[in-house]
Formats: sequence, C-alpha cells, structure tokens
Amino acid sequence: MAVAAVHAGGIADHIHPEPQGFVRRYVFSLDHKIIGIQYIITAFVFFMLAGLLAEAIRTQLLNPGGGFVANGTYNEIYSIHGSTMVWLVTIPLLTGGFGNLVFPIMIGARDVAFPWLNMLSFWIFPVSGLMLFSSFLLGAPTAGWMEYPPVSLQGAAGTSMWCAAIFLVGVSSTMTGINFVVTILKMRAPGMTFTRMPLFVWGQFATAPLLMIATTALAAALAALFIERQFGVPFFDPAKGGSPVMWQHMFWFYSHPAVYIMILPAFGIISEVLPTFARKPIFGYKLIAFSSMSIALLGFMVWAHHMFTSGLAPFLQLPFMILTYVIGVPTGIKIFSWTATLFRGKIHYTTAMLFAIGFIALFTIGGITGIFLAAIPFDLHVHGTYFIVAHLHYVLVGGSLMGIFAGMYYWFPKMSGRLLNETLGKLHFWLFFIGFNLTFLPMHWLGMEGMPREVATYDPQFTFWNRFESFASYLMTFAILIFFFNAIWSIRNGKRAGANPWGARTLEWQIPSPPNYYNFKHVPTVYGLPYDFSTPLPYKGLDEELTDSPPVPAGAH
Amino acid sequence: MRAFVWLFMIAALFGVAIAVAYWFIAHREATGTALLGIMAAALAFTAGYAIVAERDARLEGDNPKESISDAAGEDLGIFTTHSSWPVLTALCVLAVLVGAVWAPLIGIAGLVCLLLCLWRLGAESARV
Ligand SMILES: [Cu+2]
Repeated sequence: MAVAAVHAGGIADHIHPEPQGFVRRYVFSLDHKIIGIQYIITAFVFFMLAGLLAEAIRTQLLNPGGGFVANGTYNEIYSIHGSTMVWLVTIPLLTGGFGNLVFPIMIGARDVAFPWLNMLSFWIFPVSGLMLFSSFLLGAPTAGWMEYPPVSLQGAAGTSMWCAAIFLVGVSSTMTGINFVVTILKMRAPGMTFTRMPLFVWGQFATAPLLMIATTALAAALAALFIERQFGVPFFDPAKGGSPVMWQHMFWFYSHPAVYIMILPAFGIISEVLPTFARKPIFGYKLIAFSSMSIALLGFMVWAHHMFTSGLAPFLQLPFMILTYVIGVPTGIKIFSWTATLFRGKIHYTTAMLFAIGFIALFTIGGITGIFLAAIPFDLHVHGTYFIVAHLHYVLVGGSLMGIFAGMYYWFPKMSGRLLNETLGKLHFWLFFIGFNLTFLPMHWLGMEGMPREVATYDPQFTFWNRFESFASYLMTFAILIFFFNAIWSIRNGKRAGANPWGARTLEWQIPSPPNYYNFKHVPTVYGLPYDFSTPLPYKGLDEELTDSPPVPAGAH
Repeated sequence: MRAFVWLFMIAALFGVAIAVAYWFIAHREATGTALLGIMAAALAFTAGYAIVAERDARLEGDNPKESISDAAGEDLGIFTTHSSWPVLTALCVLAVLVGAVWAPLIGIAGLVCLLLCLWRLGAESARV
C-alpha cells in the first residue's frame, strides 16, 4: 500500500485494474507471462504423449520380431512421436514458452508488441496438436516426421490431417516470430542497446527471422502435399510428372533452420544460467551474440546435406559439405566461450547449472557426429541408420531438451514464486543423464553396423543392444516422471523463492516473483551489460519498493 | 534502429548473393534458387520497410546514453488484459481445416465465423 501512497496521483492511478477471476486471468489472458506459462504447460502435456509413443517404440524393439504393436501402427507411432517432439514440444517450449515468459521483461518491456497476435499464436498451437493426434483416428501418417513423398502420398487420410496440423503450427510460429522481432526492435527500455541485451534475448532475436522466413517454405511444401493428396494436383508424384526431390528441398530448407530454431534459444538459456552460477561475466559476450546471428544465416545454406543420397549432383554435394563444416565454427566459438566462462568461476552446482553443464557435454557429442555426417562418404554409409537417430537425439534431447530443463529449474521460481525441489532435481538430472546416454550412445554403433531406422523389426544380431537401450529408456522416463512430480508438488509446497533466489542480474530477477501483470511500474534505464558480477546493477529507476519487497506468495499477486 | 536496419540489409544482400551463387553452382537448380530468392526478398522487404516507414523513429532503447528523463511522460496507460477472440479464432481455424479434410460444409461455416472473429479481434485490439 506504500506503493499507492508514494505515487499518489501519479503512475499508480493509471494502472488498469488487474483482471479478476481465474478464467480471465489464466485462460483468456493477453499477458505475455501467462501466455508463456500456457505454452509451457500445453507443450509438456504433448511431451508426455510423445514420451508414451517413444516408450511404445522402445517396447516394440525389445524383441527382434517386435510384437508389441502391429508393424503398420509402429510406423504411425514414430511418425507422430517425431512430429510432436519437433513441432509441439521443442519449438513451442523454446520460443512461445520461455521466449514469452522472460524476454520482454529482460529488455524492460511491459508486454510484447502485439498481445492479441501473441494470444492467437498460442491458441492455434493446442488446436494443431489436437489435429495432429486426431490423425490417429483416420490412420496416422507413416513416413516419419519428414513425410517424404511418394510414401506420404500413399498414406491414409490422417496424412492430410498431419499436413493441416503442421501448417497450423507453422502459422503460429510465424506469428510468434513477427511478434518477437518487432518487440525486440521497438520496445527495449531506454539504454538497452543491442550490445547490452541479455544473451537469451539474442537467442530469440536470431531465432525469430528463422521462424518468419524458413517456416514459409514448410508451409508451401505442406500446402502442396495437402493439395496433391486432396485434389490430385501432381506436385510430387513422379508418375504424373511431379518431383519427389522438390519436397526434400523445400522440407529441408525449413527443417535445417528449424534445428537452429530448436537450439539457438537453448544456447540463450545456457548463456544465462552459466554466468549466474559461475558468478563470472560471460566470456566473449559479443562472440556469442554474433555467432548466433551467423549460425542463423548460415543455417539457410546447408539444407541439402540431408539429401546426399537423393541423387544430388556431385558438384552440388561438395559446397553443402563445406558449408556444413563452416557452420561448425560459430558453434565451436560458443562452446569455447561457455567453457571459458566456467574456468576459475565460483561454480554453484544447482540443478539448473547441472543441466547447463550436461547440455555442453551432450550437445558437443551431437555436434561432432554432425561434423562426421557432413562428410559425404560417411553420410552415404550411415544414411537412414540408427547413427542418424543417435545424432539427432544428442542434438535435440542432449541439447534442446537439456536446455529446456535448465530453463525450467532456473525460471520456475519466476513463474510460480516457488523453487523446485533441488534434491529431486538432482535425482532427475543424474537419472536422466545416465538413462539418456545408455539409450542413445549404443545407437551409434548399431547404426555403423547397419541397423536401419524406422523399421518395426530387426536382425537378431542387434538384440542385445536394443534391449539394453529399451531398459535404459525406461530409466529416462522414470527421471522425467520425477520432474513432473517435482513441478506439480512445488507449485504448492516448494520453498518461497523471493524476487531473486539465484542472485542473477538480468531484469526479470529485479521484480517480484511472479511479476505483476504490467512487469514494471517504472521502466528502468539501462547503462551496461547484465553480466559483470563485480559491479552494481546496471539499471536506474527500477521500482525500489518492488526490488526490496518480501517474497510474494505464489498465486497471491 | 540503425542496428536493426543494418542487420536486415546485410542479411538481405547476403541472401541475394547466395541465391545467385547457388543458381550457378547448382547448374540452374530451380527449387533451391527460388527458396533462397524468397528468403532474400523477405529480408529485403523487412529492411525496406524499416528504412521507409520507420525513418523518423527515435527509440530510447538505441541510445546508450539515454537517461530516465528522456523517456519520461510515458505511463502504464490502460491496456486490455484479457480477450476471448483469439480462442474463438483458433477454433474457427480448426473448423476450416477439419472441414477441408472431412466435410466442406463445416469448413465454409468455419470460414464465415473466422472472418467474424478476426473482425472483432481487430476492432478490440484497435480500441486500445
Ligand atoms: Cu541439417
């Protein structure tokens, strides 16, 4: 109440009354933080469903002859597992979820530039998920998450549903991208220049053009596939003069940048977590920021490295091989900078920090197998085998998902006002880390020995490692169940977090947890980088009464 | 502002350069050239928009020496905190696409409702 007294007749009078009632506040909300939380909850629901599908896959592979599900159903299961994990879990969590949750606060804005568009992007996302899973009713797609024609042309009616669903997610992503670009460009607080933005904001800034530009290629490809399936216009069917390779070009022109959509924001999360818990300025701020931008641009020039076996002319394979090596350079710069940040830091091994360090380890392995795969002769040898499955899971689970978990442990207090339980968190980390490696490491040699991916049965010689992987994957699932338990339990029973439990220096930690719906009463002025732990905070004009306020009870804002 | 314009201009030029290079290196492969061309065009459009429409913009965020008084005068104002139109719009989009796969009548009804919702959504957001 002191607040109102201090600003009597001033700013406090202009504050629009807080929305009343649960539904208005949490369901029909236009607030970027609530929308972020909606994204996170929805995406984790899809994550559970995709996890169930993954366990169905691993259970099928316990025996060389399969037998857990019909072989056709197996094809549907891995297709929907992949599609869900890419479009309904990883991309929404990292952009719509964490992006919405914190980046507007980090740049000192009160909301995103287009709140209605933001809310629409969110609501389109569960709708598209509903469509994707309802494709099971019509006969789900069976050609994997890439849906190469001509197989996808022959798929059951659910394949059209898949096209429509992914098209919708694409619309949602594009709107999010536009919203984020405009917000970062136009709504930074006074003095928040580009070279003072937190690295998570740089991650979102590098990702947003990818969402806007690459997704259009996917949308065009999906529309063409949909039209061909429903109305018979031959885009891809070679028998009618179409070109199936055109799908591969269009799909990968989107999907390689999509890998960076799934990893650049995770890079951003890691770049926030590491300096906070090493209590050291991030090493090479500009290097990390600009390498994100160059990864985003270079990401548009490597798509055909997924197509070395598609009959691509040799003169075209070579530049794609070289450019793929080149994109390893900015990625290496980042890993170097993070390692240098840890060097001689006062490291606090919180769960968020463990996930961040685990991220560096596993993403490096995934990145290095990516360099292997860029080499045409090697790629020809392992194309379509479990080596690819191992590589992509090291990048997307060891990378993106570890980053997501780091972000969850780091920002959960900001969302809910409560800390996640650290003991359960560490148990989650270690079981997940061990289970993950035991599941996916053997896939490298299974692939080298020639076990093909996306097949419901396999040669008996691969039985041992497949059983081994399946049991390890159950361990991983158990670890994730611990996380879900921890999250649900901690919302009510977790330790009160207060405004800044980690002693972090970016703006979102200088306001209460959870923040007021307008974020800042006074927009602060920024006069420096957020990462220098030896100096006072580089902000002026923050709401003093807010920074020193006692912890705000969860749900009582 | 300037940083933004430069970023998009350089990216657009880069896009043009690789689209042209790809056309020759790939011996006139059309799909990739078209995609890279569209990419360059999209970046150029954004850069062009920024130059033309935002030429008078003076953003406090771009000034490293900005002080609080320079950004003064701005208060929280009134902003809408909740809306139901985006939810309804999403449901209409669902009807349109399900209709396209299943039953055209549902699709047409969805399209009509969709236009209605977008109209109301636009009206509501314009009021703030
Ligand atoms: Cu790729």
